[in-house]
Amino acid sequence: MTRLPLLLSGAALLLCAAGAVAMQKLPWQKSGANNGQPPQSVAYLYPEQITLTAGKQGSVEMHFRVKDGLHINSHTPREKSFIPTQLIVAEPSGVKVSSVDFPSGSDYSPAFSPSDKLSVYTGEFVVTAHITATPGEHLLEGALRYQACDTNSCYPPREAPVALDIIADQVRR
Amino acid sequence: MVAALTAMVWAGVVNYRHRKQEQAKMQGPQMLLVPDNGTPSSAAGAVQPAADSSADQGPAWVDPLQDKPAPNFTLEDLQGKKVSLSSFKGKAVVVDFWATWCAPCKIEIPWFEKLHDQYSAQGLEILGVSADDLDKDNKTQNQKDKQQISEFVTKMHMNYPVLIDADSIAKPWGGLDALPTTFFIDRSGKVVAATLGLASKDEIEANIKKALGSGAAS
Repeated sequence: MTRLPLLLSGAALLLCAAGAVAMQKLPWQKSGANNGQPPQSVAYLYPEQITLTAGKQGSVEMHFRVKDGLHINSHTPREKSFIPTQLIVAEPSGVKVSSVDFPSGSDYSPAFSPSDKLSVYTGEFVVTAHITATPGEHLLEGALRYQACDTNSCYPPREAPVALDIIADQVRR
Repeated sequence: MVAALTAMVWAGVVNYRHRKQEQAKMQGPQMLLVPDNGTPSSAAGAVQPAADSSADQGPAWVDPLQDKPAPNFTLEDLQGKKVSLSSFKGKAVVVDFWATWCAPCKIEIPWFEKLHDQYSAQGLEILGVSADDLDKDNKTQNQKDKQQISEFVTKMHMNYPVLIDADSIAKPWGGLDALPTTFFIDRSGKVVAATLGLASKDEIEANIKKALGSGAAS
């Protein structure tokens, strides 16, 4: 008879412990919140984790998706006043991002101005980052800065959060 | 019981270590990365996003200020002169929120220029309020930001007052989640119409006539 209360209290403690972990959001998890803003027009898809050989430069293809019906400026928009898509990262100690390759934009002529050709990304696109890391596990956090439009309106610049777990082994797994 | 306590302690330790790691990492410098020379790419092809504006940016827009008094504001123009909406009472006023990065805004601006010429004698004023970012911490960058807006205004031959820092008044004006957003205010200061996104010139002109025709002139 005394076992049941003990088991229940044990289960309750486990739930509390699990709940405490779940409630404690990490900083990058918080940055993904909308905070009352409209939903993001771009989402980071994958990978969430990569494995590299420590000390040796590796490339990671980071996949993003622009919401259907929207487009964002490419990294090299043709109009000076348009906001380019950029990747902003906070390099943790032990990780070096030496360069990032952006795809070329596709031509897009808005219906309201058919003679114009904008350089945009739509649907899924891939940004390649070249990374070197010291042995161990690292969390690379950052954001894709973009400015989206639909067929007749534009949305203020936003940052879509990106998080990449980097496992750097002495010997490639 | 022992297992439960062990799990709780373990969870707490893991959580604490993770948080410490994340805090340390977040203190790293913010680095803006640019592509190296050999930018790989697929051949650029023509694409056409969906013809309709069906992207889920939330529920359909409803003018939050319809038939309500226009919220007053005082903003600077590009010369630093303060301009208040309330100073135009007795006139019909169009408040057009736009930005240099907004392609559809560039379509409407020449229409506003013509309509301003056409209806100013009847008591119309048009205010273009720029939603471009202004760096408020860095004076040099702030000047560059203003210069960029100024160049755009010159290039577009905007012949009506242009104010800056729309972000500072976004909340009372419905959030300004998309541009262009335009409000049409009658002579008594009441919002009689609004448009979100590129409107037709006819619709804009009809709204201007509505603003001019209603509200008692003071």
